[in-house]
Amino acid sequence: MERIVITGLGLTCAIGGSADECFDNALAGVVGIKEVVSVEHEKCYAHIGAEYPEFVTPKGEDRASALAIKAADEAIKDAKLDVAKEADRVGVILGSCVGGAVTIEKFYRDYTADPAKASGEDVLKMPISAIANNVAHRFGACGVIDNVANACAAGTMSVAMAADLIRSGKADAVIAGGSDPMSSLAYSGFHALHALDDEPCRPFNRSKGIALGEGAGILIVEGYEHAKKRGAKIYCEILGSGVSCDAHHITAPSPTGEGMQSAMERSLEHSGIAASDVDYINAHGTGTPLNDSSELGAMLRVFGTDGKVSASSTKSMVGHCLGAAGSVEAVFCVKAIERGIVPPTVGYTEEDEAAMREKAGEFDFVPNKGKARKVEYVQSNNYAFGGNNASIIYAKEDAPRKLTGDDGERVFITGIGVVSPMGNTVSAYAENVNAKAAPSICEKCGDAVSTVGADDFAGVGIKLNFYRKLDKLSQMTCVSGKLALADAGIEVTEENATKIGIIAGTSDGPQTDIANFQKGIIANGTQSGSAFLFPNTVYNAAPGYLSISAGVKGYNVTCSNGAASGLAAVGYSSRVLRTTQNDVILAVGADEDSDTVHMLYEKLGAFDAGMKLSDGAITLVLEKESSANKRGAKKYAEVLGSGSARSDVEFGKFGDGETLKKAIGIALEESGVTAEDIGLVMTCSNGVKSLAKAESEALIGFEGAEKVSVKDICGEGRAASSALEAAHAALMLSGKVGKTAATYALAISASAGGTFNAVVLKKA
Amino acid sequence: MDEKQKAVADEIIDYLAKSLRLPKENITYDIALFGDGLGLDSVDSLEIIAGMDQLFGVTLIGVNDGVFANVGTLSKYIIEHPDYKGRK
Repeated sequence: MERIVITGLGLTCAIGGSADECFDNALAGVVGIKEVVSVEHEKCYAHIGAEYPEFVTPKGEDRASALAIKAADEAIKDAKLDVAKEADRVGVILGSCVGGAVTIEKFYRDYTADPAKASGEDVLKMPISAIANNVAHRFGACGVIDNVANACAAGTMSVAMAADLIRSGKADAVIAGGSDPMSSLAYSGFHALHALDDEPCRPFNRSKGIALGEGAGILIVEGYEHAKKRGAKIYCEILGSGVSCDAHHITAPSPTGEGMQSAMERSLEHSGIAASDVDYINAHGTGTPLNDSSELGAMLRVFGTDGKVSASSTKSMVGHCLGAAGSVEAVFCVKAIERGIVPPTVGYTEEDEAAMREKAGEFDFVPNKGKARKVEYVQSNNYAFGGNNASIIYAKEDAPRKLTGDDGERVFITGIGVVSPMGNTVSAYAENVNAKAAPSICEKCGDAVSTVGADDFAGVGIKLNFYRKLDKLSQMTCVSGKLALADAGIEVTEENATKIGIIAGTSDGPQTDIANFQKGIIANGTQSGSAFLFPNTVYNAAPGYLSISAGVKGYNVTCSNGAASGLAAVGYSSRVLRTTQNDVILAVGADEDSDTVHMLYEKLGAFDAGMKLSDGAITLVLEKESSANKRGAKKYAEVLGSGSARSDVEFGKFGDGETLKKAIGIALEESGVTAEDIGLVMTCSNGVKSLAKAESEALIGFEGAEKVSVKDICGEGRAASSALEAAHAALMLSGKVGKTAATYALAISASAGGTFNAVVLKKA
Repeated sequence: MDEKQKAVADEIIDYLAKSLRLPKENITYDIALFGDGLGLDSVDSLEIIAGMDQLFGVTLIGVNDGVFANVGTLSKYIIEHPDYKGRK
C-alpha cells in the first residue's frame, strides 16, 4: 500500500480555532503574537507569545491533551471517519515537546507547598504519553498508539510515522499530528537560553529569537484505497519523508546546515521527486539567528536562488508551537495545496526585502501576504533540540512520484548494550543472570537501580566535559548505546555515520531534570530558569546526547508510550530499516529511577499495586542483513515481526487479555509462525494484578513455551525492561544466557493506557 | 587575592560545582573556564551569567571575554562592580 492521503484537518492555535479560520488569517498575515497571559513573565526580558485566546481547558484535563482533543474532534468530523466502527485499524500518533507541562507546574507548586497535597491524578497528566492515549480514549481508537517526543520536530515526525505505519499494513487510518501548550517550563527555558525575541519574530529577517506559541494540529492520515472505499474527501497525498541527525550540539543546529540539508534531500529522494518539483516550502524558520542562518543556507543549496520555489515561516504568525509546530504547519501545507495559495512570512518591510535579496537572491520568502500560485508539491521542515531534523513531502492527488518502497530485507540483532541493575555490558549482565546474582538495590528506596560511574564513561570514551551535563536517563542511554555499537563491532566513520540511526523508547522521559528545572522556576521566577538544565527536559535529549557522543547522523526518533516503548522501538526500527537508507538502527529502551521518579510512582499507588520499580537503558543494534553480512557481523537473533493493539481503557490502566492476544496475533502473522512454534516467551507482568490476569489469558496456547520474566530478575524498568525482554531473548536464542532449545521467541509488553506490544525473534 | 575576593571566588566555585555538575576539586581559582581548562560552553556561560546576577546582583551581559577567563577574574570583576553589595 503505497499511496497515503489526508482526509481530515483540525487546527487550533493563536490565530484561530479551526483549520479554515487559521488558514484564512494566515493568508491575511494576521499575527497572533501578543502579551502572554498564562505564564508569569514580569521580570523576564521578553513578554510576548502566541496563545490561543478563547480556550478554557475543561476541568480536570491537561491543556496539551485538551488542545489535541479539540483539534482531533474537528479533524475526525471533517474526515467523517467512524473511528468506533473500525477501532482496531485506527491508530493515534501525536508529537509533543513539553507534554503535560501545565500540570507539571501545578503538581510541583502543590508539592512545594505541601508534599501531601500533590496528587496522583496530576501525575497521570504529566507524561507525553498521556496525550495520544487521551485522544484514543476520547474517540475510541484501538490501533497503534504512540507519541513522538522529538521536541520541535515531533509534529512532522508523527505524520511521517503515521504514513509509514499505514504503508506497512499496520493501520488503515491514523489520527496524527501534535500538541503543545504555553508553559512556564518552555517560556523560562527559552528565556534562559536568550532564545526569545522581545518583539514578534521575523524569521530569516531581523529576528532575534522565537515567539513561543501553543496549539494542536491534527490530520487524518489514511490509506488511499481505504479512503476511496468509504468515499472520503481527499485533500492531498503524503509522499516521502526524511529524518536525520546533526550529531553536533544538544540545542544548537550545526552551523553548516548539513543535517537540515540531509533531511530535505532524503524526503525528496524517498518521494522520488526533484528539488525543482517543489512549489512551496513551509520552513522551520524559528526566528533564532542560529536556526535561520543554518536553514537558509541549506535551503539555498538544495533549491537555489532563482525564486521558483516559495518558502515561508508561518511561525511569524502562530509562534513556535514546539512539538505541535510540524503538525500546525502540515495543516497549512495541506490547505495551500487545496486552495492553490501559500501563506506568508510576516514582518517584512521594503528595506528588509531589499536586504533579503542581497542575502538570498530572488529566493521568495512570501513577504506579508499569501500568494496564489501553482502548489503541487510541498515540503515541510522542522528541526529540534538533540540535532534532530525532519522533512516531509505533501502533494496534490495523483501528482507523479516514485516512492521508495519496502526492500523486504531481513533484520538482525547484531549488538547489545546493557545498563541494568544486573550489571553494565552484555557480558556482565549474562554472567550475573547465569549466576542468579541479585540486582543492585538502592539502600534508600529499595528499588533495583542501575549505576553509571566514571569507569563506565571511560570504558566507552566519554569525557567528563560531556557527561557532567547528562541527567541519569542520558547517562545510561549514552553508555548503553556506545556499548551496543562496540558489541556489534561497529566503528562509526564519516562514511557510515549517516546510515546509522537511533529509535529510542521511554515511558517517563527525563522526569528528574524536569522536576529540578520546574522547582527552580517556582522558587525564583520564570526569569531565572536554568539554561544548563533546560536542554535535559526534552525526552529526546538522551538519544540526542547519544548521537553526539557516538557521531551517528541517521534516523533519530524518540517515542513515548509507556513501559512497552522499548519493545515498540524494536518493531519500529525494523520497519524503518526496510524503508529508509539506514543500515543500522540503535533501538533503545530507557527509563530512570530517582527520588523524584520514586515519589511520582508512589503518588500513583504503583507500589501498593505490587510494582517493584527499577531503571536502566538497553540498546539493541538492529541491522539489515546485507550490511551485517558485508562486515561479517555476529548475529544474536533475527527480528521477524511485531504487533500492537490497544484496549479502550482510561490512561493509567492496563488493557485486557483479549487485546494482548490481538497484538500477539499480529506479530505471529507478520512473522509467519504460530503459537506452537514459540519456544520461549518473555513475559511482561510486573506485580499488578490486572496485568497478570491479562497475560495469563493471552498466553493460553503457549503452554509448551518456556516463560522468562526480566522483571523478576531486575524489577519494572519500564521501557528499559521491555527492550531488555528482546535483548534477553536474543541472548537466550544465541546461547549466551540460560539453556533453551527454542528457535522462536515471543516478547510481550504492556503500557498504561491499554497498549500491548509483541515482537517475534528467531534464532539466527 | 584578598579575603573579600576569596569569599566571592569560593562562592562561585560552589555555584559552578552545583549548577554545572562539575567536580569541585577540579575548579581552582586560575583554571581556564573555557577551552582547554574546564571546557565550558555557551550554555554554561548563560548559566554563569544568571547565577552571578542571582548571587551578587551583578550583570555580566555584554562584558568582555576576559572576565570569564577563570574564577579569579570573575570574582575580581564582581567585587569591583558598583552593583556588588555583598551576597544578595
